[in-house]
Amino acid sequence: MDFNPCMKHKVVRQAVRDFAETEIAPVVYDLDREARFPWDIIEKMRPLNFFGLQVPKAYGGAEVDGISYAITIEELSRVSAAIGLCISVHNSVGAYPISAFGTAAQREKFLPALGRGERIGAFCLTEANAGSDAGGVETQAVREEDGFIINGTKIFVTNGGVCGLSLVFAVTPQEQGARGGSVFMVEKETPGFSVGEIEDLCGMRANPVSSLFFENCRVPLENLLGRVGDGMKIGLAALDTGRIGIAAQALGIAQGAFDASVKYAKERHQFKKPIAAFQTIQNYLADMATEIDAGRLLLYRACAFKDEGRPFGTEAAKAKLFCSRLASRVTNLAVQIHGGYGYSKEYDVERYFRDAKVTEIYEGTSEVQRVVIARGVLSQPR
Amino acid sequence: MRRFQNSIWVYGDYRNYFQNRVTLQLLARAVELAPEIDADVCAVIFGHSVDDFVGEYIAHGAQKVYVIDHPDLKTYSSETHAALLTHLSRRFSPEIILIGATDFGRELAPRVAKRLGTGLTADCIRLSIDDNGLLIQTAPAFGGNLLAKTVTPACRPQMATVRPGTFQELPHNDDAVGDIIPVTMPEDLPVPRARLMRSERIPKRAQRLEDAQVVVCGGRGMGSKTKFKKLFELARLLGGEVGATRPVVYSNWIAHDALVGQAGKHVHPQVLFSFGVSGAIQHTAAIADADLIVAINKNPEAPMMKMADTAIVADANQVCSSLIRELKRRIRE
Amino acid sequence: MRYHFVVCMKQVPMVSELPWDSRSGRLRRDLADGMMNPACKHALEAAIQLKDRHGARITVLTMGPVMAEEILREALAMGADSGILLTDPKMAGADTMVTSFTLARAITRECPDFDLVLCGCHTSDSETAQVGPQLAEELNVAGVAYVEKLDLQHHTVRLEREADDFLETIEMDLPGVVTIATQRYTPRYASLGGLQEAFDRDSITVIDAQGLGLTPEQIGRNASPTRILDVYSPAAQKENIVMRGSAKKVVEDLLDQFGDQIAAAIGKDLKPNG
Repeated sequence: MDFNPCMKHKVVRQAVRDFAETEIAPVVYDLDREARFPWDIIEKMRPLNFFGLQVPKAYGGAEVDGISYAITIEELSRVSAAIGLCISVHNSVGAYPISAFGTAAQREKFLPALGRGERIGAFCLTEANAGSDAGGVETQAVREEDGFIINGTKIFVTNGGVCGLSLVFAVTPQEQGARGGSVFMVEKETPGFSVGEIEDLCGMRANPVSSLFFENCRVPLENLLGRVGDGMKIGLAALDTGRIGIAAQALGIAQGAFDASVKYAKERHQFKKPIAAFQTIQNYLADMATEIDAGRLLLYRACAFKDEGRPFGTEAAKAKLFCSRLASRVTNLAVQIHGGYGYSKEYDVERYFRDAKVTEIYEGTSEVQRVVIARGVLSQPR
Repeated sequence: MRRFQNSIWVYGDYRNYFQNRVTLQLLARAVELAPEIDADVCAVIFGHSVDDFVGEYIAHGAQKVYVIDHPDLKTYSSETHAALLTHLSRRFSPEIILIGATDFGRELAPRVAKRLGTGLTADCIRLSIDDNGLLIQTAPAFGGNLLAKTVTPACRPQMATVRPGTFQELPHNDDAVGDIIPVTMPEDLPVPRARLMRSERIPKRAQRLEDAQVVVCGGRGMGSKTKFKKLFELARLLGGEVGATRPVVYSNWIAHDALVGQAGKHVHPQVLFSFGVSGAIQHTAAIADADLIVAINKNPEAPMMKMADTAIVADANQVCSSLIRELKRRIRE
Repeated sequence: MRYHFVVCMKQVPMVSELPWDSRSGRLRRDLADGMMNPACKHALEAAIQLKDRHGARITVLTMGPVMAEEILREALAMGADSGILLTDPKMAGADTMVTSFTLARAITRECPDFDLVLCGCHTSDSETAQVGPQLAEELNVAGVAYVEKLDLQHHTVRLEREADDFLETIEMDLPGVVTIATQRYTPRYASLGGLQEAFDRDSITVIDAQGLGLTPEQIGRNASPTRILDVYSPAAQKENIVMRGSAKKVVEDLLDQFGDQIAAAIGKDLKPNG
């Protein structure tokens, strides 16, 4: 077992960190404050394969290994959780399901544009009455001769305001054996598709999370991903990789808050010495460092399982549960270490603190992760 | 046979004479160091019709001036000057050669050192002689965050380039006398493989940030683009220029050419005001040469406040307004 | 004609996190993460732009510890074709004189057909800016420092540079050595796909002293004419004056204490009324 990062992963981390610190960090405060999606930065990210991380090379993607993927999301999120979120969602639940479940024609049609970031991907599951319980989905797709007509409203769609292609989870009540729901690919130009208001959220404010409306939205047959009734299967598979992304994101937020705290604790003097000299602060930093380390090991193990082609759902769920919770704890301590300044928008930890919470909520709440983990635990032969 | 008299040489870099008096500054330091190793202070100069400069060097401390005067030397060429300086050095064996760390000097010196097979220290800001008569050359590293002391124990000459402005030139002494030693141009001088086709003096721009005597730097702590604009008014009152940190430039509060930092401009004003700047190392490395630094920041622990001569713990924006008011009042009087 | 460019580069410690041992007053280089020297990136960018226009093969060359392979891989991801890593404990401690000697030896042995060597104009750690010009001497070819713009014309290259307030146009014979200034050739970022590929490729040659036919007496600290006596931090924290209070009060305090100095800088009288 080798715990040293290999040279490639070190270089990938450095490259993404360099990009994030040079191009994103200077504006991250403005983006958050103005709830602005940074198209200019996205433009710079496109040729660097940020949008094609998991897209196969054959379709112009970078097809990076799982740990490189996690490191990329981690380093983006260390600077801007909202941009890390955009990339994570686009890759894991936007592009990945098409690579995994799409036909050759579908991949040919959608993956190159997704991989180049010309279309930003989104995955629409949540509705007013359906969150963790996908059984409550009311959006309907009705079969017509040459396609389906979709009607319904999705809420809290990450990347919603900017998505060029949304993967829509809908029920198809008329179809035989369609209990699992189905996934449809809806391009933004489709008549009847519209974007609702951007949500006014506590954190991740630079990501245009919004509602999406589907009013008699007609999509051709070839926009059905997999078969009718495959929805739940696709959704669960997408969420498995999605969890790696969110765990990486949570870890990145925690790392950013931790780095800021170490720096601050060394700089800030009280009672004529740096606060880092006080044991209470040292205890905080020690706890933060330990949790981050533990989370990283859990996460990279899930990634390694994925790269080896082994089942990794339980590992990803453990990583997501642990990393999102540690992100909340670590950012909370980071604000505490910063004292009054930490509560001010002048310091980054205030933003990390707000951004961290939602990682415990989306792509499966912590409660749902435990269900997944428990299922894995209980199904093990003893 | 009598050994050559020890000598300290200063390379005569005259192309930018009025702006850059580094040759005279080095002569002054050579005059101070010479007694410690019992050496003569010499200047060397290559060019065409350079008598005026020769006179200047003598008036500023040179006891001897080696001159190669030839029409072919009208333009500066590092290849030719390297050949000539190497030639002279082999012939007269100076103990030390000092060269101004101008762009040209920093291109010339390493070539000469290589040809002579000796050591060279770049961009020194201190020179002294140790107990063994060795030249201790102190030069910055890591963006001025560290200083390194270097010696060349065994090889001669000991060579250093020295940052302009490091030493004070001696007053012009009309009565000074020195030997002028004309040296004939060597005949086997190779044809330069890099040829100067055109050279024009860059027109004196409107005051440049990097030349300004007063610089007003603003950071994110100014609060907003509108508030940041006050710094322009302050700079105007002070006859200075506005600089900015990276976050400010990226937020488009000001154009990119105002960036003060490792990736932007290095400034060395007499007075630098720093409003709401936290002080990332990339920024502080670029302002370290300022004579007086006044930093205003709400956070007394910010690195910028630590490196300032005067740290004002207050809201940057309010102090800026107040300073503008007060300056207007006083300047009007 | 297809050119062969050699880009020399150095791995330097990340300047933003210099681990400083305050007790010994020493830099803990072993603790610092390495990165490609920023100016070297500009040199590589210049080479890549020339390659895009004229067609060329780019070899990147570095001397350093084993970990310096990182920057060669990064260079491959940016657009270089192959890399050479000179690594040997005996090479450590080389000053610019010996560094240029060792690099030149590698170039003449491994890239004898080179047309142009490009270097960064200086490193962010030792900042000497000497290796490029010395490399030109060692290779016995033309050399020009601080180049802002290159324009290849068969067997010569037309260069523009700004030096000491002069804008110069220089025609340089090939082969030659240039050092690239950091104004114009803004380096591209390596793409993530490019990085993955750079690590899958078998394009790095590792050579030690023996491989270059060099003896320990010819390289490293042993052969270097200069000796570093001491490296220290000048941040002998200057005692600074701290002012607090209302904006009005601190401005008055400031002008009371530093009014003369500020007045001298701006050439105006700042004495209060009365």
